[in-house]
Amino acid sequence: MFAKLKNLPLGIVLFISGVFVLLPLGSAAEFSLRQPASNDHGLNNYLWIFEQPEFAHYIGISIALASVASLILLVLLVPTVVWLNLKGQKLRPFVDFITLMPLVIPVVALAIGAQNSLPEFAQTNQFILSFLYAVLAMPYAYRTLDTGLKAIPLKTISEAARGLGANWFVAIFRVITPVIRGTVLSALFMSLALSFGEYTVTSLLHWDTFTTWVTVISQQNVMGAIALSVFSLLAIFIFLLLVGLLAKPATSQALKEEE
Amino acid sequence: MSDSSLELRNVTRRFKDMVALDALNLEVGAGELVALLGPSGCGKTTALRIVAGLDRADEGQVMLKGRDINGLPAHKRNMGMVFQAYSLFPNMTAAENVAFGLQMRKVSKNKRRDTAHELLELVGLPTHAHRYTHQLSGGQQQRVALARALAIQPEVLLLDEPLSALDAKVRTNLREEIRRLQLSLGTTTIFVTHDQEEAMAVSDRVAVMNKGRIEQIASPDVLYNSPATDFVAGFVGSMNRIRATKTGDSLFVIGRTVGASKIGPNIEGPVTALVRHESVRVKPDAKSDIVILTRSFLGPVSRITSQLPDGALVHSMMSSAESASLRPGDRVKLELLESELLFQKAE
Repeated sequence: MFAKLKNLPLGIVLFISGVFVLLPLGSAAEFSLRQPASNDHGLNNYLWIFEQPEFAHYIGISIALASVASLILLVLLVPTVVWLNLKGQKLRPFVDFITLMPLVIPVVALAIGAQNSLPEFAQTNQFILSFLYAVLAMPYAYRTLDTGLKAIPLKTISEAARGLGANWFVAIFRVITPVIRGTVLSALFMSLALSFGEYTVTSLLHWDTFTTWVTVISQQNVMGAIALSVFSLLAIFIFLLLVGLLAKPATSQALKEEE
Repeated sequence: MSDSSLELRNVTRRFKDMVALDALNLEVGAGELVALLGPSGCGKTTALRIVAGLDRADEGQVMLKGRDINGLPAHKRNMGMVFQAYSLFPNMTAAENVAFGLQMRKVSKNKRRDTAHELLELVGLPTHAHRYTHQLSGGQQQRVALARALAIQPEVLLLDEPLSALDAKVRTNLREEIRRLQLSLGTTTIFVTHDQEEAMAVSDRVAVMNKGRIEQIASPDVLYNSPATDFVAGFVGSMNRIRATKTGDSLFVIGRTVGASKIGPNIEGPVTALVRHESVRVKPDAKSDIVILTRSFLGPVSRITSQLPDGALVHSMMSSAESASLRPGDRVKLELLESELLFQKAE
């Protein structure tokens, strides 16, 4: 009884947060299922999304751009943060400052700056967006990776790997990265989600991706646009779930084998 | 030593203003186990890290079988290292950890698996091959780390206080096992520790370090019985420091004159007598003004602390059977084992 009472404040907070988050989501989901013509509920609005000829095209472009952006970010950040934690403590304030810049500089300024300073060949290739997405996701990915690396005995593990014959590249990508798999996946997810949903830079540089397409299409069918938003949320939720499952250490199978 | 496996020549390492290693010289023979023993900050771990290639020497050379390996990066040195902190890769099983070094050497999968199982059996963990780090106890983790270090058939096995995080019983068992393995495999080994008992128990020779230099390197027996310097005498074993007066080869200490011909400066007059706890025998004497303060029972031996008339304390270690009748408050006389007596200039 006492234990239950002790958890009461937590329960109240969770309930209020749940209502605050879930109520609008539930309402949006319910709205997206409405079929005004027949005055009932159904999947018509969702089917409409998939009937759009550009749907697969733009979602493909967005996934490709987001994947490249995430790859750039991880290849750049994992060795940098490992190095910072092992040897570069003096440079930490500087790197902290640099990685905060994308949060401080308005996205419009970044887009205009990119438009004015990048060479023409870069401006004509849509994958330039991946580099800009990587910059925008950097503050979050950097801090996630840094926290993850601080939680493991990085120095001992990297020295053990090197002592056993691994060079720095192997030590970072085959030993350290798998050890912080959960953190790397979180950083990856964050940059994927951020890149996938990025609108301002894409729009200002006159490129079309899934997000800009959604904005255009929503003007044709409001209920379809809501269905699209719910669909995006669900997709991200499933993706998060997968990340969580992948991040779990694979111990159960190993134990089963032994038994 | 002509057949030395590893040699450090005038190795110096500075950290800003602090000299961690001061022109250190050390030779380790093939198949020998040498312990680097010393207090915190004496440079023992720095020396080990320089041998492993994880740190660099500012001056001097590290020679492996006559070859200068100063410029060789850590991953090309073929040194097996066991760390103080648990260093297993948590994303790999025990077997995968052991096989990692072999994988780096592009050994075939089957051979890797066989070697890993063979080594896990050698360290007493044949059924733990598929366990992850978090499913192993501290002692088991260090055994796996030892197997992992041995799997690559290292030129030199480097042990950096591998037992310090373990509880007393596991520590004693594992140190004996390390020695057994080292002797059976004949691996040249450097064992860094601050625990003198550990160093004495496992080593062929012990190098006592102080302020970045080796004070004395000798077999445990020689080190214990014939310490070369006051520091070694004070650091190895437990010493009483008692005020005394020296005249020629005689020492006037605790109201008696005893022979004293061992180490110490060639001085006369007031000195400090260094007497090991086990070299003091306590015997009942109702007329004496020395009184027992405490008697601690430690199993086979007991530790007795007596107070001299001037207030100084003298500790002695005697067999529990022999000291069974002694009680705190008893008046006693102290007999010193003359052959074990050392002395130094009074401070």
